[in-house]
Amino acid sequence: MSTQASPASGASESVPVTAAGASDRWERWGDRLNPLVVKEVRQGLRTRVFWVCFSLLLLACLVLSLIAYANTQGASYSREGRTYFFAFFVCLGVVHFGVIPFNAYRSLAREREDETWVLLLLTGLGPRRILRGKVASFLVQAALYASAVGPFLLFSYFLNGIDLPTILVALLLGGAWLVFLTLASVCAATLADGRMGRAFVRFALVGVLAVTFFQALTLIYVMTQRGGNGFTFDRSFFLGVCAGLGMMLTDGWLLFEASVARLSLMTEDYSRHPRRALVVQALLAFAAVVAVSWYLDFDNDVAEIAGVFGTLHLIGTGLFTVSDVDGQSRPLRAGTRPWSLFKPGALRGFRLTVLLLLGWALGCSVLLSMSDETQGWTRMGMAFTALALYGVLYLSLALLLGRMPRSDRFASPVAVRLLFVAVTALASGLPPLVAVFLRLDESGSELLNLLNPLVGTVNFGRYNYSEPYGTHLPPELLLCVALVALLAAFAADRVLAEREQRAHAS
Amino acid sequence: MSLLEVKGLRRDYGKLRAVDDVTFSLEAGGILGFIGPNGAGKSTTLRILATLDVPTAGEVLLEGRSLVDAPDKARPLLGYMPDRYGTYDDVTVREFLDFFARAYGLKGAQRRQRVDSVMEFTGLGPLAEKLTTELSKGMRQRVALGRTLLHDPRLLLLDEPADGLDPRARIELRELLRALADQGKAVIISSHILTELAEICDSCVIIEQGRLLAQGRVEDLLRASGDASQVTELVVRLAAGAEGESMGARAERMLLEQPRVKDVTREGSALRVRLELEPGAGPMQAEAAAAVLLAALVAQGLPVCAFSPRERNLEDAFMTVTKGRVA
Repeated sequence: MSTQASPASGASESVPVTAAGASDRWERWGDRLNPLVVKEVRQGLRTRVFWVCFSLLLLACLVLSLIAYANTQGASYSREGRTYFFAFFVCLGVVHFGVIPFNAYRSLAREREDETWVLLLLTGLGPRRILRGKVASFLVQAALYASAVGPFLLFSYFLNGIDLPTILVALLLGGAWLVFLTLASVCAATLADGRMGRAFVRFALVGVLAVTFFQALTLIYVMTQRGGNGFTFDRSFFLGVCAGLGMMLTDGWLLFEASVARLSLMTEDYSRHPRRALVVQALLAFAAVVAVSWYLDFDNDVAEIAGVFGTLHLIGTGLFTVSDVDGQSRPLRAGTRPWSLFKPGALRGFRLTVLLLLGWALGCSVLLSMSDETQGWTRMGMAFTALALYGVLYLSLALLLGRMPRSDRFASPVAVRLLFVAVTALASGLPPLVAVFLRLDESGSELLNLLNPLVGTVNFGRYNYSEPYGTHLPPELLLCVALVALLAAFAADRVLAEREQRAHAS
Repeated sequence: MSLLEVKGLRRDYGKLRAVDDVTFSLEAGGILGFIGPNGAGKSTTLRILATLDVPTAGEVLLEGRSLVDAPDKARPLLGYMPDRYGTYDDVTVREFLDFFARAYGLKGAQRRQRVDSVMEFTGLGPLAEKLTTELSKGMRQRVALGRTLLHDPRLLLLDEPADGLDPRARIELRELLRALADQGKAVIISSHILTELAEICDSCVIIEQGRLLAQGRVEDLLRASGDASQVTELVVRLAAGAEGESMGARAERMLLEQPRVKDVTREGSALRVRLELEPGAGPMQAEAAAAVLLAALVAQGLPVCAFSPRERNLEDAFMTVTKGRVA
């Protein structure tokens, strides 16, 4: 409808151009807000779920506080605060760790199902702003719930038995966990496209939310029971809280970027932000590991834990990076160099993952070498180097199986991921069974399990340096694993390069 | 210069070629019908034009600029209405349009003005405070059209807009689209309700299995398909009388004995006669065959009160064009 010729041009004249002061200010402020926040909050406050949850939450807290009042009325000094704090926290937790993340998931999943998502993209808002608005709107709703419980949580402080720092740390961790779960749920909503996939993701999410709900409450319970009497600076507790917050922060960021990428159109440079987030996360994590290691006088436990968990994390994220589609859309090709690793395409995703995995293993090995225990560092260094190499090997194998054949039957991202799971499961489960079936001795069994990602990693970690000719896997065999992994990586790289050329040529 | 130019568009999904070498153009103020059976590639083509998908090959130029290379620049000029209405629960009509106006970056008084103007144009004013879920299909479709118009696009892409609408809602939609075209907007409508398209569209593109089979002005397509068809239809009406029933049977028998008559169907007092002509026969031969038939009817003393060729419609054109053309 043309603005000039529109039948409504007369109607527009009736609208006052300058409204009175206060409402005008509100409107200007509203204009600055993300449109999604306005819409989602407006929509959310109209739902029955919100009002039922809000009323129940308020009612539960009221009943609990009346019970607390009745119990403590006669006592001269009460120490019931921690119990009631935990009870109020459970009430809030049901909404914050269950209802809000699940509603965030449902909202985005429905948006995709009804294809309103597409309409939003066409407005020019962009997936980043849309997702930011979506998450923010659910956090606003979470804040509304928290405003109902807030006074009761404070009330628990006046019941004694819990100190303010403990309350604050619990609320800080709870808040961070809420943000992380909301981001994870939004990301889950972007995972599946088909009806079956969506049903599976929904089922899995409900399971994960249920399990993590109890885990979070257990942690808060332990924290309030141990630290409730008076907050004392405990080194391991402090490191644990920092590590937890760091993981929630960086993984939340990564999940957000991954969701944005999954919801971007093919024509956009969708992979740049999540891959950059992954690299920044790896660098930050390594810097934190170095700092903690230095703080603990290069205790090799830190490097060992970081080596194993970091590698596993990189394999997990790498699975999504390497299974990207082949090639990239026409507008992006001109600015892409062979080593523009942040640009879309499975080829660049694969190269980035290999570099990150090997870099992480190398970094952690160097860190481990700084510890005093020579044998320990060799053993564990070998273990997580082997784990990284297994990661490279099985990611390459999944890509080769999925994308080497001319047929595209197993070439889709989901198929490659499933192939990885299948190949890894087979490689982990089959050799030990064959060893039992063939009645091999321990050294024979270890050789048979050389490429077993589970048993192989454990065997390399058990290598006894004082007995170099013993039964456990020596460093020379690690070279064999490296050779096989690098060969597979090279083959996968060539296959992906050829497929990219084909995709660009067509 | 055309507002929209589509050149050699191709879209492959693995081994499946959904769109194959589709070329057409559209002027400002024109309404183009995109005709094809389900799975013909209509929606895929529209999604590419809406910048939601990228072609495997080919080019799309909107106002002379590549829509494939610079989709961000093209989006403000496009209004896309998918075959699903895409409304939200628990949101009123005004809130829905206000939300999308915000999303398009309209602010303050300008946004209010735009929303009011769109509601007035689409006749949604009295329903402004109603929840979108409480609206009828026709009204929800108007809300969707209103959303498409909020940012004043130059090209409208409407995927099956008349699907599921009652006759009244269809007529109203037709009027709205005509008004939009009169304002200089180009409109592309994909549909399989062909009678509907014939009345709305200036030109048509017929597509099947991803391939463009015919395109041009609706009248030209009808004429061309009539020329290409080897079958022509006549409507013979006999004068009603005491012997009407037996006359009809006599006429039917007699017509079936004629050499070119392929089929005769009785429709009340009228007979629908299908004549088969030689391959390559033109309108002259069809008229000659009809004249022979009329003469035979009159010679038999049958009271013929009306004898006319049946008007060809877009459905006939579509059937003629698509039959057996794509293996």
